[in-house]
Amino acid sequence: MNDTWFQILGALPPLLVALSVIGLFVTLCIARHERLVYAMTVGGLNLALVATIALIPLGPVAVTPLYIVDFYTLFFWGVILVATLACAAFAMPYLSGFNDRREEFYILLATSALGAMSLVAARHFGSLFVGLEALSIPLYGMVAYTFRTRASLEAGFKYMILSGVASAFLLFGMALLYGATGSLAFTNLIPAGGYDADAGPWMLMGIGMMLVALTFKLSLVPFHVWTPDVYEGAPAPVATFLATVSKTAVFALLLRLFVSAPITDNAWLLTLVGVLALASMLIGNLLALRQDNLKRLLGYSSIAHLGYLLTTLVAGASLSIEAVAVYLATYVGTSLGAFGVVSLVSSPFAGKDAAHIDHFRGLYYKRPVLAVSMAIMMLSLAGIPLTMGFIGKFYILSVTMASGLWWLTGGVIVGSGIALFYYLRVMAILFMDRPAHAREPQLSGTGDNWAQTVVWLLAAATILMGIYPAPLIDLAAVAGITLGS
Amino acid sequence: MEPAVQHTVVIWPLILFLVAALGLVTVMLGLSYVLGGRHDNRLGNQPYESGIKPTGSARTKFSAKFYLVAIIFVLFDLEIVFIFSWAISARDLGWVGYEAFLTFLFDLTLGFAYAWKIGALDWSPRAPRQLRLDAIESNQQRNLPSEQTS
Repeated sequence: MNDTWFQILGALPPLLVALSVIGLFVTLCIARHERLVYAMTVGGLNLALVATIALIPLGPVAVTPLYIVDFYTLFFWGVILVATLACAAFAMPYLSGFNDRREEFYILLATSALGAMSLVAARHFGSLFVGLEALSIPLYGMVAYTFRTRASLEAGFKYMILSGVASAFLLFGMALLYGATGSLAFTNLIPAGGYDADAGPWMLMGIGMMLVALTFKLSLVPFHVWTPDVYEGAPAPVATFLATVSKTAVFALLLRLFVSAPITDNAWLLTLVGVLALASMLIGNLLALRQDNLKRLLGYSSIAHLGYLLTTLVAGASLSIEAVAVYLATYVGTSLGAFGVVSLVSSPFAGKDAAHIDHFRGLYYKRPVLAVSMAIMMLSLAGIPLTMGFIGKFYILSVTMASGLWWLTGGVIVGSGIALFYYLRVMAILFMDRPAHAREPQLSGTGDNWAQTVVWLLAAATILMGIYPAPLIDLAAVAGITLGS
Repeated sequence: MEPAVQHTVVIWPLILFLVAALGLVTVMLGLSYVLGGRHDNRLGNQPYESGIKPTGSARTKFSAKFYLVAIIFVLFDLEIVFIFSWAISARDLGWVGYEAFLTFLFDLTLGFAYAWKIGALDWSPRAPRQLRLDAIESNQQRNLPSEQTS
């Protein structure tokens, strides 16, 4: 019985989120009150965040054979919860002009965050699949939430159908691996001939199919085609969620799979992953060059960033996990800020999002702080020193160089060089003369101040972490040690 | 007995069945293709509706409500699958399983209450009276001269 309570304690953060989802349903069955629903969502997520921090001294807890709550899990739970809170803050002013039911958005948001949390803690195919579906299915609804706009509905359909195909690949891959090893737990996926033996063709096919599904969710290159369309069509806060929470959770899972499953230690597989990484960073950056839509541009840039991240899987150095934790945290913070500005300029909701780059021309003269925040985010995405993007990129380069992967190092450098062009182009446009026909960004009142504060805080954090990254690096180092051991 | 021999013993009727089925279909379609008559005129391509001329397009509008109700039906119907699978092993699962199952049922009922509350189970989207009032209101908005509204 004592052990049961210990497990419940370990799973407290996701349980709190789940309870707040159930509470939201009960509330909506009784009465519709947007403020109350918003407060419950944010309250639940904040409580979960507090619980996550409080669990740090507890040490690894195995919650049933399905989940493991170690420091690695807690670190990414923290990232996911912070990003979800920011998305909720952006969604509030964005939806304030939406003349339909607004409350359900927060249910979908919290459910999706719950799936992401399950994914990060998964160490078994069962929890992997449940987590991935709980992350994705609410996202279909969120992408198509403003379904009266054609683009949003179209994006929802595209995401749903392609995601369904990816899930089918995932299940088939799991089935093949189960057939070959007779186990669903990550650590038991051992090649038939023992730890050092080569994986047979069935196992390679299984892990390859799983890789198809996971790289689809991460929008890496052969499976990236949906990304710009969905980012463009989705409401800005949802695009934020897709670019941050969804990517973080799936990548954290992929890393845990690669670190703990013995069959992933295969030269052929690692070369394949390296090729995917190289293709993602080059093609993502090249396609971003000629984009005039800021959301599409950020979509392509996220493809490139995930490509940089993937190099750490190939490297398999002792620093890899720490590098992933640092890079994902910096990438999430920066993306939240960039998408947050897009979301704020797009709101209040009026037809399509104001994501075309013309709407941002001369933003500095209308909303100076917002424009400066955007400029800082662009610098951070480009990896300029004194922003936290630089710290992440530094880690990636040191990992690839430490393991002697010079072709990937070259890819990261060339990709970053190309990326500089379009990030700086966006920056320059923010400070140009404002054209007469640009849509006026305006304060809509409710919740807008909160969202602005979040953007300012993110900008401040980007600079602070760039100058003094020690706390983040310490946290990431502990996360790396717990997973690596 | 060797495993390979067992396999052939089990599988040959299946292969025979497959060949027979494919052959039957090929013969039926092939014969009617070779021996059958041809008529390519316009009337010949019309569907035969017991002598009545077909009218209108086949693509008529259906109410999206059918879809919604079907989805809700599938959702709550599938719940029975879970109830059965729990019921078979209820004794082995014990009280922990019972608690988990009650949680599941509670969440499901909550979903049902929610669907009811938002009117997903109503056949017509809104009360007819409200619909009429809305129509009148929107007509008034369209017809009013702009100086009166401003």
